[in-house]
Amino acid sequence: MTCNFTRPALALALALTLAACGGKATFPVSGTIEGLQYGGLVLSTNGMDLPIAANATSFTFPNTLSYGEVYNVTMKASPAHQTCLVGSFTSRITGVTYNGATDTAGRFGAINIGVGCTTNQVALGGKITGLTSAGLQLNNGSVPFIAPLAADASFTFPTVEFGKSYSITVLAQPLNETCSVSSNGTGVMGDLAPAGIEVTCVKKT
Amino acid sequence: MKSLTLRASVALACALSLAACGGSSGNLLLGGRIDGLFKPGLVLQNKNGPLLPIAAGTTTFAFHELIGNDEEFEVKIATQPTGAKCTLADNKGKSGAFNITSIIITCATNTYDLGGTITGLDSGSLVLVNGSDRATVTAGAPGATIGFKMSQVADGAPYGVTVLTQPSGRTCSVENGVNTMGTAEIANIKVTCKPAAATPSGESV
Repeated sequence: MTCNFTRPALALALALTLAACGGKATFPVSGTIEGLQYGGLVLSTNGMDLPIAANATSFTFPNTLSYGEVYNVTMKASPAHQTCLVGSFTSRITGVTYNGATDTAGRFGAINIGVGCTTNQVALGGKITGLTSAGLQLNNGSVPFIAPLAADASFTFPTVEFGKSYSITVLAQPLNETCSVSSNGTGVMGDLAPAGIEVTCVKKT
Repeated sequence: MKSLTLRASVALACALSLAACGGSSGNLLLGGRIDGLFKPGLVLQNKNGPLLPIAAGTTTFAFHELIGNDEEFEVKIATQPTGAKCTLADNKGKSGAFNITSIIITCATNTYDLGGTITGLDSGSLVLVNGSDRATVTAGAPGATIGFKMSQVADGAPYGVTVLTQPSGRTCSVENGVNTMGTAEIANIKVTCKPAAATPSGESV
């Protein structure tokens, strides 16, 4: 329905443009980026590679397309520490619905492709040894975790975003043991889950 | 089609409720949704009607007393929960022909300051963390006691303050850093910094 109206309007606009400058109408391939914090993202279409800087909020490919040319924007490289999707989505911030990654130049008055990025969530956990009694409670700051009641069990906290800190501590000691967390229980989350976090429980004397 | 069934069932429900309680002025439910209620003690009231206590963790509510068609209602908070504050929306109006389920109660658990004092931080800067919350404290005058504050923590949530980065040349340790937030500010976390163990003289570093 909308197309029925849009197409003649576009044709008219195109005709006017052609008449005005005596040349061919061209269309820049551009879009809006949300949530990008790190560098390394490379977008690609129609033989062009476009590196995107950290914190960028929009992009436009250097060469324009002519009417009817097909574009297909893909992600040639992901940014560091983040995962991005190229395509149509509705912004939670602005409410705008962006265009999909592929289409024909000229079908929209202006091409506004969506690129949405989120920072990676990384697993946080470790191993408990020497535990034989109930009551151990661990916490990562204000995120609680009730430990299972078995020796040599592993524990998993909710994921932590890359670059955020974590601090695993013993909130409550079990009945018969005194437990402590290895010094790597406090740190800043990297790209991979921190290895070797240990909660060691020793029988109370 | 559907509304006929609905009407029939409403009529039936009405007849049943009339039969059950020996007559009531209404046949419509008065209720709604509750968001974020993690604390006990909330009591609701419609105008000056009977009190309706709401348990912690409840997500929907409806008054036991039905209201009639074209009846004014005004739901109020008779008692706030302990350690949280709730607000009402769409709580006032006049009933029509249908149940009222559109009242929204939004509750937020109280949060309190989390902090303490640092002694011996004569040089460099210290980074303290409570999970993903980070605070950097820079050295004060020699011998000074420095106050610090982390982000606020909700009543009933745990906290675990640890050292993420030691200041240069000093080793700091935390006392009273782990507990569960109560209903008042925490200011008793004690961080003590001492000169880092010196390398034995004559040994190259």
